[in-house]
Amino acid sequence: MKVELLNPFLDATTSVFRTMLSCELSRGQPTLKRNHSPEYEVSGLIGLTGKCQGMVVISLGRDTAIKAAEILLDERPDSLNKDVIDAVGELANMIAGAAKAQLVQFELSVGLPSVICGKNHSIGFPSNSTPILLPFDSEIGPVCVEVGFAENVPEN
Amino acid sequence: MCAKVLVVDDSGTMRKIVIRALNAAGFGDTVEAGDGAEALTVFQSSQIGLVMTDWNMPNRSGIELTRDIRALGSKVPIFMITTEAEKARVVEAIQAGITDYLTKPFTQDDLKAKLEKYTKA
Repeated sequence: MKVELLNPFLDATTSVFRTMLSCELSRGQPTLKRNHSPEYEVSGLIGLTGKCQGMVVISLGRDTAIKAAEILLDERPDSLNKDVIDAVGELANMIAGAAKAQLVQFELSVGLPSVICGKNHSIGFPSNSTPILLPFDSEIGPVCVEVGFAENVPEN
Repeated sequence: MCAKVLVVDDSGTMRKIVIRALNAAGFGDTVEAGDGAEALTVFQSSQIGLVMTDWNMPNRSGIELTRDIRALGSKVPIFMITTEAEKARVVEAIQAGITDYLTKPFTQDDLKAKLEKYTKA
């Protein structure tokens, strides 16, 4: 996957966490993702279409998701409830939207977010994509963002 | 200060964030809607003094809501709060009739500054 597609998601994730959660992220080493299992049990996913097609997934642990929701909502959810799920979906939405703004040349449209909760769930990226896993660490816990675009990305 | 603020977003999280910022800025009277269609119903049945709307929503978007409100002849201020940040999209929203625009992610201070600009106008 072209690095020009990757960097906006790195920047967007950092920006969203800093702005909305007042939380600084430290970046780990991006790696190729070779299985369908997200790193953690809560996944916010959102599709992108346009001159290229792909998907971005934000993966959080249960406690990290609850903590993120607590900061956004200014009240602590008592469990991994619908408020937490909605909060994770909104984080995915903002990351995709902020990245899209840096990818104007691909004329992307962002879909509506979905959130999946549960250990051992699987998420399938477009079949001709090789997703990249972007790990981050933060004071509220580790976070991963997975980005995959179909390989027929046009030259811009 | 305006009568009532209509906050429209399909995300309950974002509605709470916006309402909290509105309350902090002195706008204590708010009503919510989860999509553009519901918002239009609320708008037509209430004395709304300000609309804060998301763009991308199921069941009628924020742009469509804006056009609907303007088609009613209303000049109520409409703020678009959205992830759509490209210039062409901003122009589209202005042409639809919005009053101001705030891109996500944003801080409470960002929203407060926008509201202060409106209330001092």
